[in-house]
Amino acid sequence: MNPFVLGWLLLAGPLWAVIGGILIPRRYRNRGLIEEGTTAAGVLGGFAGGPFLLVPLWYRTPNVRNRAWAGMLTALGVLELYAIFAITNPENVCVALPFAPTYVSQQILNGLTIGVIYAITAVGLTLIYSVQGIVNFAHGQFYMIGGFFSYYFLLWTQNWLIERGAVSEDFVLNPLFGILIAGVLSFGLGWLFERMFIRPMHSGKIERAAEYAILITFGFGFFLEYTTLAMVGPFPQRAEAFTDVRRVSLSGIELDGEAIYGPFTVLADRGVAMIVGLVLIFFLLWFLQRTWAGRALRAVSQDKDAAAVTGVNPLGMNTFAFALGSMLAGMSGAALVPIFAWVPWIGAESAVRAYVVVVLGGLGSVPGALFGGLIVGVVESVGSGCFPDPSRGAAYKEAFALGIFALMLLLRPNGLFGQKE
Amino acid sequence: MKFTRAVLLVFILMVTLSISGAVLAQDDCSFAEEPIMIGGIAPLSAPGAVTAGVAMQWSMEQAVADLNADCGIAIDGQNYELAITIGDSEGLPDAGQRAAERLIEVEGIVGAVGVYHSAVGLATMDVFQDNAIPTVYSEPWNDNVTIEGLTRFEEDGIDYIFRIAPTSTVVARAAVDWLLNEGVEDVVIIAENTDYGIGAVEQNEAFFADAGVEVETIFVELGTEDFVPILSRIQAGDPPDAIRIEVTGETGFNVTQQMIELGIAPTEDTICNTMQDAIQPEYWEAVPDGNFCAFYKVGIAPANYNEQTEAFVAAYREEFDSEPAGYAMASYDAVGVLADAIERAGTVEDSEAIVLALEETDITLTQGRYFFEYTSTNPLPDDGSVPEYLWHQWLDPAVIVIQFTEEGQDAGAAPVVWPPAYQTDEGVSYFPPN
Repeated sequence: MNPFVLGWLLLAGPLWAVIGGILIPRRYRNRGLIEEGTTAAGVLGGFAGGPFLLVPLWYRTPNVRNRAWAGMLTALGVLELYAIFAITNPENVCVALPFAPTYVSQQILNGLTIGVIYAITAVGLTLIYSVQGIVNFAHGQFYMIGGFFSYYFLLWTQNWLIERGAVSEDFVLNPLFGILIAGVLSFGLGWLFERMFIRPMHSGKIERAAEYAILITFGFGFFLEYTTLAMVGPFPQRAEAFTDVRRVSLSGIELDGEAIYGPFTVLADRGVAMIVGLVLIFFLLWFLQRTWAGRALRAVSQDKDAAAVTGVNPLGMNTFAFALGSMLAGMSGAALVPIFAWVPWIGAESAVRAYVVVVLGGLGSVPGALFGGLIVGVVESVGSGCFPDPSRGAAYKEAFALGIFALMLLLRPNGLFGQKE
Repeated sequence: MKFTRAVLLVFILMVTLSISGAVLAQDDCSFAEEPIMIGGIAPLSAPGAVTAGVAMQWSMEQAVADLNADCGIAIDGQNYELAITIGDSEGLPDAGQRAAERLIEVEGIVGAVGVYHSAVGLATMDVFQDNAIPTVYSEPWNDNVTIEGLTRFEEDGIDYIFRIAPTSTVVARAAVDWLLNEGVEDVVIIAENTDYGIGAVEQNEAFFADAGVEVETIFVELGTEDFVPILSRIQAGDPPDAIRIEVTGETGFNVTQQMIELGIAPTEDTICNTMQDAIQPEYWEAVPDGNFCAFYKVGIAPANYNEQTEAFVAAYREEFDSEPAGYAMASYDAVGVLADAIERAGTVEDSEAIVLALEETDITLTQGRYFFEYTSTNPLPDDGSVPEYLWHQWLDPAVIVIQFTEEGQDAGAAPVVWPPAYQTDEGVSYFPPN
């Protein structure tokens, strides 16, 4: 390709994005219209369509605060990025036909599977934030300890049953039972911690509450990690698999007996964990929307004083939210203990990712956490699977998600589903 | 007659007292008041290889206990108890440096041993050099550890760093030779993005390139859990003849298990060559489908164990219920090498004398006979015929390749497939049924 054309293609998007980001908000301001969302629309519109999108935006100044606009512009931006990528890397496995559609779809599927798992951890974090207004820095350790609760429950129960001759020697208790137990124990641990250490903050006994919340959750995280290390040791553990099947093949599209799209592979244990995650998230959404306790939680998250007037105990709801968030973290750990080698420090990385997911989805939003998790999963998967230098694709995996995180903070600081305070 | 009987009684009494005295003296080594303090460095918390760190810590402490049971270190007819304090490197260069400084400034160590990660070895060696602390590294493999020691010797006239671990070139050579012997033509290397991983990859790539083998390398970050995207990328191409994993700790376990779950290796087409941590029993916990994977082990094969090795392995098995990895044996021996040098130097104050004694080391411990060929008295030849990394380097560390052939198999019972000198099963390599 002509280097000038290529150079223009590479430069045009960012250049128009900068122009759009500066001019479009000014235009809305000059016309006395609401500015919210106009920077993002200008940047995305400039990047995706250059003058062809910026000119109509300039003249018509439509309402760009709805998500359809953002979605459409983002999709156009992604398409343009893909086009530039395809032109500059024609041999890349994500571009070269005929295999590219299957490969990219497989990577998206990989990303969606792990994304749901990311989302479960993040949902607990966002729930605590929305009700209590604090970021739980021990969230990763609740995730870690949930995995160990499940592992040791399964181990001890199996041994106990075998010793009593109730089951045969090769009996294996399915880790799904461990998820339930981990949920109960994590809920209890979260409840206890909140009552002992977080409650004084809301009772006005702590002078610098925000700093206190950071320090106490950080401290508790360290306590949990090192206590677990002292108790179970540093050796990696893994629970038995959910199923004996290792991978499931999904057929694609065939033409004259020859596969033209697909087949796709899903690792069976991840598939089970994903289903568990989806069930948990939808159960949580149902609980928050349909039950008295769920509505009370939402009420407290919106206005504590008003909720108190209607008979809701905000302090009790704070404790309940923290315990529920801890339970979700613990259950997500339990869902993953058959999938990853489990060590006491495993929570650190998942916690960082959960923060990214939560900010991406919008602090305090449960559907936002789900979408954030899916986006992070897909971006990481496609990013490392398609990166031009295969030797570095995996090493930069986390960087791809952090790139999206930085972009989101720049363009839409409240996240995808976040509301402005 | 009475006189004779009395003399006899006195004689018997004296003999009895002498024997009892000797026995009592043996039980009570009558140590000097102040012990000789040495320091150990191991990764005892994340992101370091904690499993290895715990094994190293136990081994170093066991070595000290065994030496003290044998009356410690004798200097000028006085027995000194040996004491060790362990610093946590966390697998990070700066944390390792802090640990080394604490050992020197707070604990007042006279010598140091241990270190697992190459990055920590390279970072801490300056601290030990600057403070004139004779040091015996037991695990960092990066060639540059001893190469930089040589540079220091050329600048200052003394190098305090010795290594009894193999260099990464030696380790890479053994595993590569096995794979070449298996006839591989293309290999994928998955390596950790650390000094150790990068160094190992450079050597692997060079050896494979010499043999005309195609190599694709993938770097991964330690601590990552999900490798399916990058493994799918390998799966998208033609299956390589072998996948070689140079990733330590639980990250390496995750790569191996996910690779097997995806059906990439081991198969009839692709050899699974995983990391040395496979020797730990946790391998089967974290990689339940890991049968037929091969791994290299630093350290001698069970057939070559001596009495000391047998005793150490028995004690280690009692503690960890597994065959000790090379780093455990090396950590145990590093204490022995250093203690032996202090005793021969006859001083703890004169670190240069200890370095000279280390250079003259000739002692047999659990991994065999230790000696340092290239030293200040026998420098490397100027013609470049000997690689620089052999400076202050033990020349005889064994590297063998073992392959599991049964699920849950003890590493000690698995067949040695390479090198031919150690092969236990006529060098037959096993592959899973199709």
